[in-house]
Amino acid sequence: MVKLLAAMLEGTVVSLEVFALTLLFALPLALPIALGRMSRSALVRAPIHLYILVMRGTPLILQIIFVYFGPGYVLGATFDRFTAVIVAFTINYAAYFAEIYRGGLQAIPRGQYEAAKVLGLTRTDTFLRVVLPQLVKRILPATANEVITLVKDTALAQVIGVAELFHAAQNASARQFSTMPIFLAGAFYFVMNWVVSEGFLRWERRLSYFG
Amino acid sequence: MKRNLLAALCLAALHSTARAGDASLTALKAKGQLVLGLDDSFPPMGFRNDDNQIVGYDIDVAREVAKRLGVALVPQPIDWNAKEQELGTGKIDCIWNGFTITEERAKAMLFSKPYLRNAQVVVVKKDSGYATLASLKGKKVGLQAGSSAGDALTAAKDFKASLKEVVEFKDNLTALMDLEVKGVDAVVMDLIVANDNIKRSGRPYVVLRETLAPEVFGVGFRKGDVALRDAVQGALEAMAKDGTLGKITVKWFGADISVVGK
Amino acid sequence: MDVVSVEHLSKSYGDLKVVSDLSFSVHQGEVLAIIGPSGSGKSTLLRAMTHLEEADAGTITIGGTRILADGIYADAAALRTGLLKLGLVFQDFNLFPHFSVLRNVTEAQERVLRRSKAEAREAALALLEKMGLGDKAAAYPGELSGGQKQRVAIARALALGPQVLLFDEPTSALDPELTHQVLEVIRELAAEKMTMVVVTHEMAFARDVADRAMLIDAGVVVEEGPARELIENPQNERTRAFLKRFSQGGRA
Repeated sequence: MVKLLAAMLEGTVVSLEVFALTLLFALPLALPIALGRMSRSALVRAPIHLYILVMRGTPLILQIIFVYFGPGYVLGATFDRFTAVIVAFTINYAAYFAEIYRGGLQAIPRGQYEAAKVLGLTRTDTFLRVVLPQLVKRILPATANEVITLVKDTALAQVIGVAELFHAAQNASARQFSTMPIFLAGAFYFVMNWVVSEGFLRWERRLSYFG
Repeated sequence: MKRNLLAALCLAALHSTARAGDASLTALKAKGQLVLGLDDSFPPMGFRNDDNQIVGYDIDVAREVAKRLGVALVPQPIDWNAKEQELGTGKIDCIWNGFTITEERAKAMLFSKPYLRNAQVVVVKKDSGYATLASLKGKKVGLQAGSSAGDALTAAKDFKASLKEVVEFKDNLTALMDLEVKGVDAVVMDLIVANDNIKRSGRPYVVLRETLAPEVFGVGFRKGDVALRDAVQGALEAMAKDGTLGKITVKWFGADISVVGK
Repeated sequence: MDVVSVEHLSKSYGDLKVVSDLSFSVHQGEVLAIIGPSGSGKSTLLRAMTHLEEADAGTITIGGTRILADGIYADAAALRTGLLKLGLVFQDFNLFPHFSVLRNVTEAQERVLRRSKAEAREAALALLEKMGLGDKAAAYPGELSGGQKQRVAIARALALGPQVLLFDEPTSALDPELTHQVLEVIRELAAEKMTMVVVTHEMAFARDVADRAMLIDAGVVVEEGPARELIENPQNERTRAFLKRFSQGGRA
């Protein structure tokens, strides 16, 4: 049992690495994408809209395979497995986060921007001090959803041989001829997501001081 | 004088290109690694033990071969469905995982000579009462997607046609799990793997006496990697001659059932 | 001295001319009330002055700084200087909901005027006291009534020490019981000789507090003159027609 847990823990570490790195890159990347999506210039808006459509319209598992094998056929050079996973996850999740940001930004009343402008606040100050705090509060529930999905999506990394938790569980199952490791993996995912949910809930509560 | 020199140079150039063949072996040696692609849930050929290490018959043999080539063995778990792509794009150097030599596969890649005999068999639960292929008429059969079990079943046209449904699974384990819960009535898989499975699990599975296609295992390489294939084949034959291969085979199967050099 | 000077201002949305060759000026310490029917261009006028919208033609000078010259807006630096002399109070308050009342009033002082935290805080508290909201400094806008919110908005605008305060229908979004709170504040500011331009429907207020009044209809100035006279005894037919809708001392 100890060995089983050790093996699954190894897999969990990999899953958590994929999770953390994806968030680290996708969350910031999504902001310029969202702004580009709302750009007045069709030259900027159109390709970004297309990118979001493709990312959200095709299965992530397909994108992972494409990012991993694709460059080899076209450019002759490829990413290593783990890098390919991070790249695929990042550009996929950035699209989802971008749409969440866009929804939040469009819901900020124009009056906020106007009041800030009339008071003489710079564009940067307006964005960082007036808009962003309100944006964060608005997008928390939708963002929590995506982050929880991400925890579970990490299982897809095994399709290009990245040894994450679910794969470790399947191997253990094969070895022990029992489905117990699979259920154990389920428990692991549940706990991880419970932590994520709690975290977001607390964050939402902290921001409930204003309507 | 000059003309002779020129002729000599041309001859030398031609000779060297003819002898060089392909750079696969030299490239591998320069890399220092032999990357072996496998489905790491395929005991006893290649799988993970309790300590999460990748072990198996093929791994032991490959490790010895790699040593003789002067490189390190890197077992790389892959998705079995993507094995052709992994090999084709150079992510792995060979497929060595109870890999059945079929005509179709031989068109797309280069194989070593056979090293083990196998057969595709039908596994059922002991208490199911199925004893012949005919008794499975109108029943559901499972197998691993992308494996030669699918080819063997297709080749057994009448048998396949008599079935209600063929269900494809990601790996043999999942297929057997479905057998356990009666999601399928039988599983088509390698004899070697079935025997190992039944022995180690103690599960009440039975292998039908009627087998589907007999087959052989080989090591798969990229189409152009002739030098590499030849070097590996050479190492295998040397190991068969000096008894190393026999020892490993007995360790895993109880008897020397390998067919290298025989 | 003219603190505000608007000459030949025009603005169109497509074919619709919202403001048409409009000119007026406001002297130091004067209160100008702008009245008129909905859609007459009153709000557009204020928004063009504060660069929330861009006029098509005209000249705007605030406190000596030219922010619009013949339809061309000044460069960023000049705009900033000019706009800093203006304060605008919105119909919908537009307070920052995630800042406390105090922070709403100190934020721009710190970020725009570069005052120290202590300085800004002191000035803010003084203004809030003046508005009768000294005890609400730690509250959040969501907890306040409309009248209270608008008074905070006025404090926020005053905190930057503008030369002119613009009001865009400051009481239109308030329940009738609360309008007097805000009107009182404006009345006090008028007594202190704050230069103000107030777009309003409160005729009694305009008549009593404003020095001058101006009726705008369909983007043009219909009549202009001393507030009391214009409202009690309008000369122009259209002015009379418009004012008739309002009962004595009442509101639209």
